[in-house]
Amino acid sequence: MVAKVRAWVVDRFALQPVYDKLLNRRVPQAHWYSGDGSTLLALLGVQVVTGAVLALTYSPAADSAYQSVVYITEKQTLGWLIRGLHYWSAGAMMVVVTFHLLRQILFAGYKSPREGTWLTGVVLFLCILLMAYTGYLLRWDERAIHGIRVMLHMLVRVPLIGESLVMLVQGGPDIGPTTLTRLYGFHVLIVPLMMFLMVAFHVYLVVVRGTITRAERKQPVHSAEEQKQLYDQEKESQEHGETFYPVTVFKSGLTATLVLGIVIALTLILGPSKLFSEANLTEASIPSEEWWFWWLSGMIALLPPKIAPWFVVVFPLAVFGFLFLLPFADRSPVRGVRKRPLWVALVILIVILILGLTDYRRRSTFTGWPDAEPPPVPVGMELPPAAERGRILFAQYGCNSCHPVAGHGRKVAVDFASLQGQMSRDKIQEYILQPPAGVAMPSYKGRLNEDELTALVEFCHVVQTFPLQP
Amino acid sequence: MFDRRKWLSVLIQGGGAALAAVVGIPALLAAISPAWRPRRGEQWRHAGRLEDFPLGTVKPAIVEVGRDDWARSLESKTVYVFRRSEDDVVVYSRNCTDLSCPLVFDAGSECFFCPCHGGIFGKDGKPMAGPPSKPLYRYVNRVREGELEIDLYSLPPMT
Repeated sequence: MVAKVRAWVVDRFALQPVYDKLLNRRVPQAHWYSGDGSTLLALLGVQVVTGAVLALTYSPAADSAYQSVVYITEKQTLGWLIRGLHYWSAGAMMVVVTFHLLRQILFAGYKSPREGTWLTGVVLFLCILLMAYTGYLLRWDERAIHGIRVMLHMLVRVPLIGESLVMLVQGGPDIGPTTLTRLYGFHVLIVPLMMFLMVAFHVYLVVVRGTITRAERKQPVHSAEEQKQLYDQEKESQEHGETFYPVTVFKSGLTATLVLGIVIALTLILGPSKLFSEANLTEASIPSEEWWFWWLSGMIALLPPKIAPWFVVVFPLAVFGFLFLLPFADRSPVRGVRKRPLWVALVILIVILILGLTDYRRRSTFTGWPDAEPPPVPVGMELPPAAERGRILFAQYGCNSCHPVAGHGRKVAVDFASLQGQMSRDKIQEYILQPPAGVAMPSYKGRLNEDELTALVEFCHVVQTFPLQP
Repeated sequence: MFDRRKWLSVLIQGGGAALAAVVGIPALLAAISPAWRPRRGEQWRHAGRLEDFPLGTVKPAIVEVGRDDWARSLESKTVYVFRRSEDDVVVYSRNCTDLSCPLVFDAGSECFFCPCHGGIFGKDGKPMAGPPSKPLYRYVNRVREGELEIDLYSLPPMT
């Protein structure tokens, strides 16, 4: 009976060709790292399911959006879990898609006949970036609103049509409800539709054109025809080929399961991303991008003022220009890592840059900020009265907004403790009244009376004897 | 000459494209229409009584923003008012001129700090540190019967 029903279903739904052409086919052996594509597919699945559930409760209207996110996180049954999974699998997608992309550059996965696979992949990469960015904005907390403004400020730099682009994105002359509604439509309809089409196309091309094989990496391949021959030999060979289902699926399924496990663990341990206060344009705020964009933010912080305004427009265009043109620009017959040292160096450089800049941004040593709390005195040390008064003035006059004291506070300007007594009282006083040209410090001339100045100088002088903390 | 088969395929492709255009072009126009929605004239808003801003100091002020008819969110925003002399007032946008992160004014050092990438501006609005290269945006302002007013539309739409 079961066999009969099964046969009926297989016949009437025409499943046999699917099994023959898709599952029970020979493919070249998969490596441990080639499960990244399946992992992305699995993560996308998590995004679609959790996203659909979130859309059932989320309110895309500016006056209730934030409250609906609070409701999902705090009151809805398992809402925190769904939001957490949506957030962490988005983050995982950013990491895995970067790995996936760099791996294709490393092995020359973009070379013929896989240009189509590469190009659809680049479009998908763009889609994932757009999703990661717009998703962040839908929370409609204060970070979201400043995130939108940062994007608008990048767009306004585009020559000629800058202001029109801003109006297009914000949906009118001001940031407001129309902005949120547009972002929502973008995040849940337009980009997902695009992704659906592109994923289907990308996977179809992966099935038909395959992924880069061991044989291709070992010998030069001069034409698409030569590659196809090599590919066929490889997949049919006893030694280097395997059957897609279940062997390949099992291997890449393992990778996907591992990453999903990490996503679930992060959700359970850390929960969904923190919500800040509701979107507003009035309160003081320290906005920050999601961790997956930290490297970019760190890079922007390091740019000299001459380049910075152009960079934010030119850099994304340059990256995607490079990615789109890559298969047409690099047409040498060699693939794999051994014969392409420059590409290996490029990928290593990119990885080092991303990690290094991420760490730089995480430490954020470049941002000054007011702090009412005077710097602490080292344990067991007592300051003379003048210096003690100077310590209070140090905070009152905002010196501690930039200057750390023996490692405490913002680390934007010099820490006097690190000078180890090299600066005389006269020198300090001169500096306070008239900082040298090009130094980012305001002149305090006319703001301090004689006593205050002496006290401040005294404190800065004595700080030089503070033990510098590690 | 085209044969029948060729004619049919031209008809199908042309007809299909025409049908798609009939729906697609208006859809596209409607979608991007905010881009050319006019932002004309002036939008004057109260920023507070002039006498509430002490001479020589920078003080935040909250102004109502322009809004759509059905909008009930983000109704106001902070600007910084610098009263340079008896009747010379400068009103700064709170935007950093690099990427428009919200600045905070530090009364101690009399500097504006940007929370994002280390931009610092002086009281005079000039950039002192970090990526910004342009001075702070200034709203056009006027004083009417002791009331300080600013023109929201005197600055670009994202400020």
